[in-house]
Amino acid sequence: MPLDLTGLSKTYAKDGSGFRLFPLDLTIEKGEFFCLLGPSGCGKTTVLRLIGGFETPTSGTITLNQENITHLPPNKRNLHTVFQRYALFPHLSIFENVAFSLRLKKVAKAEIEERVVQALRLVQIEDLRDRRTDQISGGQSQRVALARALVDRPEVLLLDEPLSALDPELRIKMREELKALCKKVGLTFVMVTHDQEEALQLSDRMAVMRDGQCLQVGTPKAIYEDPIDPFVARFIGQVNEITGDLIGDGPETYALQSALGTFKIKKNGHPLSKSINLILRPEKMRLLRQRSQLQENLIEGSICDLTYLGSRTEYSVKVKDKTFKVFEQELERLKKRKLNVGDNIYLTWRTEDAILLNHPNS
Amino acid sequence: MTFLPFLIILVMSFLERTPLGTISFHLNINNYLRSFEYIYIKVLFKTIWLALIATLTCLIVGFPVAYHLARSRGWMKQLGLILLFIPFWTNFILRIYGLVSLLGNHGLINQVLLHFELIKTPLEILYTRTGVYLGLLYNYLPFLVVPIFSALEKLDPSLREAGFDLGASRFQVFRRVVIPNIKEGIFVGSLFVFIPMLGEYVIPDLLGGAKEAFLGNIMVSQFFVMQDWPFGSAIAGMLSILLLMTLWIQNRWSRSNGFKKGGLDA
Repeated sequence: MPLDLTGLSKTYAKDGSGFRLFPLDLTIEKGEFFCLLGPSGCGKTTVLRLIGGFETPTSGTITLNQENITHLPPNKRNLHTVFQRYALFPHLSIFENVAFSLRLKKVAKAEIEERVVQALRLVQIEDLRDRRTDQISGGQSQRVALARALVDRPEVLLLDEPLSALDPELRIKMREELKALCKKVGLTFVMVTHDQEEALQLSDRMAVMRDGQCLQVGTPKAIYEDPIDPFVARFIGQVNEITGDLIGDGPETYALQSALGTFKIKKNGHPLSKSINLILRPEKMRLLRQRSQLQENLIEGSICDLTYLGSRTEYSVKVKDKTFKVFEQELERLKKRKLNVGDNIYLTWRTEDAILLNHPNS
Repeated sequence: MTFLPFLIILVMSFLERTPLGTISFHLNINNYLRSFEYIYIKVLFKTIWLALIATLTCLIVGFPVAYHLARSRGWMKQLGLILLFIPFWTNFILRIYGLVSLLGNHGLINQVLLHFELIKTPLEILYTRTGVYLGLLYNYLPFLVVPIFSALEKLDPSLREAGFDLGASRFQVFRRVVIPNIKEGIFVGSLFVFIPMLGEYVIPDLLGGAKEAFLGNIMVSQFFVMQDWPFGSAIAGMLSILLLMTLWIQNRWSRSNGFKKGGLDA
């Protein structure tokens, strides 16, 4: 276990009032790509700055390979940060930027040359070695920042929203490279992001944060399929929610009574309160033209909007005063069935695809 | 229009003074030849030397001031800037006379030191070279502090953090990251004080007791005592050439030294 955070917290004021980060316990495994995900102000950057040593925690400890590094200054920690705006040194060439940490360590000149070139090659910018920092693009600056942080082989790389300053096309491309880079160098990557798609694509595991608290830690799949908190469900992907009360108690199922009807719920072992949020992902819902006797969960509604997106079509379905989002994959090239705005349809889903969460007020 | 006074001086430096003190339109370069006489060259080098020492003193005192101003926050910073500039709300001559009364044998500083018996006889500051340095320092300090301060303000704080993160100690961050990125500001600030110091004549006159003549004093005495405007203009011309050379050196320096190439030979 290379990186361990135990009871790590940070308050705004010195007297310990107002948590910017509530006590956090987190273990980040060696070689893992770990994402801290959350909206701005959720405390994710605070966690990164605490690990980097730029801020001192109010309480708790940080251990790296069993060594307590909580009170070490940043220059004594065997980890490097890739800053949001890259923070390249404008007075040095690209080569010298990358060589910075090696020169401080008084590494022999020939070895510096070799390792810097190697690092530049790793991020595919060998030909930029003699440029100035104002002569390269944003994407290239990003690569220089990565090379500079990787060149003296730290144990952990901290990335502070590294892709947010890039234009969208480049961002997608860099995501893939970043993931490949992590596997190639075998280091632990800890990345802060507010982009849920980025986190899903890159992380081995991720933590979702809000208001200084870590709500859930898990693999992207676990976080998406089994969120344990309504905020997590809403923040990662899109959701349709039905609130209702639990009634009846069958051997394997419950029934949920809501304003939209009564639906079947599968028991999953979690203790449930009386008031329940039923959460349905748009791609797990189906549209039916006719009422089907075989389907258990049915809601009648009408299509109020549809957007064709090539690989899928997004429907908005009006049911009483609620609007449901449904994504349908275009599985066949010529779909016989054509749905239009205004059509009356039925919404349905498989009982096991519903996510059940206790209503926050109960 | 703004060049007109300068042009007049330039033209006059090539003219001649008549024995009556008027100007004769006889073009020649005798004034410039005369300015190369030993006595004037000696004063010229002394002026450059004194201005260099005074600039260095300003830098030693001013840099920490600028550094702390840039690092302080909120009202502390406002207060610091106000304190730096309050003296400039009073007239220059008045400020110098203020210093005269502060530094004199019966001035406040000597009185306080004598009172607490830290010294037995009054310190000789006024009408010495030290007095001139103190006057120059007092008067020019803000012009050096401001460019350095604004260079530090513009410095991205994450550069410091990046240096620290990459293994540099606080001192190494200062030397390898902060200084290289604000050296333009340091140079500009130094020039802001060095150049006007070369032409300074009031401070050496009032605080140096005319014992420490700057080139400016010679120049002024040519104009107003000797009534030799053409020769005074020639000295002014020499001074201008000196200033242009300083600017040229600065220009070359910042262009060649502004950026370090990488590699084995670096």
